[in-house]
Amino acid sequence: MSEKDQADLAAMEKTDEPDLDRGMVEAWAAKMISNPDRAYRATFYVATIFFLVTTLFPFYWLLMVALTPRNRLSSVGVLTPGGFNPGAFVEIFTTLPFHRYIFNSFLIAVVATVIVLFVASLAGYVFGRLRFRAKNVLLLSVLVTSFFPPAAFFVPLNRLFNRNIDILRPLMQDGSLYNTPYAIFIPLSALYLPLSIFILMTFYSQIPDGLEDAARVEGTTRLGALFRIIVPLSAPGVATAGVLTFITVYNEYFFSSLMTDGRPQSWAPMLEGILRFQGEFEVLFNLMAAASIVAVLPVAILVIVAQEKIVSGLTAGAVKE
Amino acid sequence: MASVTLQDITKQYEDVTAVDDMNLEIRDGEFITFVGPSGCGKSTTMETIAGLTLPTEGSISIGERDVTDLPPKDRGISMVFQNIALFPHMDVYENVSFGLRLRKYDQEEIDRRVDQAADIVQLEGMMDRMPKEMSGGQRQRVAIARAIVREPDVFLMDEPLANLDAELRVHMRTQLQRLHRELDTTIIYVTHDQAQAMTMSDRIVVINGGVLQQVAPPLECYNEPANRFVAGFIGSPAMNFLEGEVVDGGFESEYTNIDFDPGTHGVSPGQEITVGVRPEDVFLEEDSHKAASPTKAFDAVVDVLEPMGKEMNAYLLFDREVEASAEGRGKGQLLINLVPDTDIEEGDDIRIVMDRENIHLFDRASGDAITHSLE
Repeated sequence: MSEKDQADLAAMEKTDEPDLDRGMVEAWAAKMISNPDRAYRATFYVATIFFLVTTLFPFYWLLMVALTPRNRLSSVGVLTPGGFNPGAFVEIFTTLPFHRYIFNSFLIAVVATVIVLFVASLAGYVFGRLRFRAKNVLLLSVLVTSFFPPAAFFVPLNRLFNRNIDILRPLMQDGSLYNTPYAIFIPLSALYLPLSIFILMTFYSQIPDGLEDAARVEGTTRLGALFRIIVPLSAPGVATAGVLTFITVYNEYFFSSLMTDGRPQSWAPMLEGILRFQGEFEVLFNLMAAASIVAVLPVAILVIVAQEKIVSGLTAGAVKE
Repeated sequence: MASVTLQDITKQYEDVTAVDDMNLEIRDGEFITFVGPSGCGKSTTMETIAGLTLPTEGSISIGERDVTDLPPKDRGISMVFQNIALFPHMDVYENVSFGLRLRKYDQEEIDRRVDQAADIVQLEGMMDRMPKEMSGGQRQRVAIARAIVREPDVFLMDEPLANLDAELRVHMRTQLQRLHRELDTTIIYVTHDQAQAMTMSDRIVVINGGVLQQVAPPLECYNEPANRFVAGFIGSPAMNFLEGEVVDGGFESEYTNIDFDPGTHGVSPGQEITVGVRPEDVFLEEDSHKAASPTKAFDAVVDVLEPMGKEMNAYLLFDREVEASAEGRGKGQLLINLVPDTDIEEGDDIRIVMDRENIHLFDRASGDAITHSLE
């Protein structure tokens, strides 16, 4: 071993080496390597700041815009509003029936979520718990359908929903689904079904067979066992699938705007309502901002509620495998 | 209270036959045990009785009813599972009353029956516990309470004690026998543990490879096994088998020969047979008075001694040239059962005798029993 090697070894054994001539970055990197916890903390702060800037700051700025009176919109600052006018949050309901738009979107999202959870539960049960031929082919085709761009379905669906269908006459005034909530939640439920099927399939497949057998012996049908035992025990999965579906449908614009004429009584959705604050000569940015904030509330409430419902680890310990 | 009849039950999975043409009559009020090695089809048979799987062929009746195509809930059965299978999101009361609530019993009746069941399995005061807060034995008792609360015609138990520790298992075994006496219901019990089968059952159903081997009371299976499989499976430690051939004066194998008259025992010279003798029917030569009818003495070498407290197992080799097999008892090896204070050491040369009254002969090709005594 040469003298140089020995000197290097001696340097490696020393933990702090203040006399070593290193650049600032190099010294910093050395410190991070010897103390990885600091590196993790630094990464955490970077990620947090990035999240705050990209996600929460626009939301904050939305609030600033909403609070700025209409005539001072040009002077809205980056961190402070250009005045104080909380009246915008009332005005959005008086200028337009914005509550109706929100109600439309909310109802459509709720119905779509219920449909998706029900159908995806049945499909998830079959794919997750039964063995049958062509299972993988079927599963794959469900997956592939979800890859299609929604626009691919739009033209045929729009033609179909604009047609007068005689058997629907007792239900709809003119026998056409255009301008009804059906025209929105039917295609949206179908589009967002595959994702929920996959989520629920994974959860349902993990419930031990013994529990289902026990339920069936005790007096349920297979379907009864699904809804009384398997679904409650998969609560986290059901909540996840439900929240995802609700949020996607609630925020959906493409189908919802094209399947109605945009009037609130035609079941136009919330996004359509926000855009309605754009007049012929003037864009009411402060009202649009206020409306956007109000529109976020149902989703925010839902997520908070669902989070409390998500109780995991229920199955732990009750079944010995 | 009902009898159960299986007629020509066959269950086929793609290319595996799990149960092969099974015919069985289970009497009203009987405690019957399906026993066999794992994968022998005993659980599948029980699942077809429960209705959890449908048989490929054959029919099942419970009492007078043909239940072959009925769903499990309409068969008048209840079941205790190996993995206990309590519903984790329900407390004890909800678990036990689940079936009654589904059947829309009125609240008073439900409470009365749940109380009664809880009393039988000693679960009072635990009604609002969650399954995960209970010990293995308590959970098992909840599962049993859930099964008895509906007062079923037939009780199915699929290895209910397999997941309990040894001490609790023995305790629950007597509990189950007491329960059977109290309820007087038909109980079908599945286990791979022949000790449970022996101790609890009115009759044992021995199954191997999906085929019924013997249906008989425990002692009959022990004393008069129908074939070599039953002989080897029932009884612990297992029976010794010596393979050889019938000659003019009796049986001859590489290490032993036993004198008997082939004609009177239904074999003929030249026939390949297996001799079976249980460890407890082999004695040291000086103890030969303990055998009802001792054979002549054989030489053997003591290989390994296993003192068990109330008895001692001795693994013998017929001569010093025999190599002890690593997998079970091989050729030239013999296991015998001795009283614990027998004065022998490992490596000793000893002489042993067998009890002719308890020597079994099996046909080598078919495995069927030919005789159960050489007297």
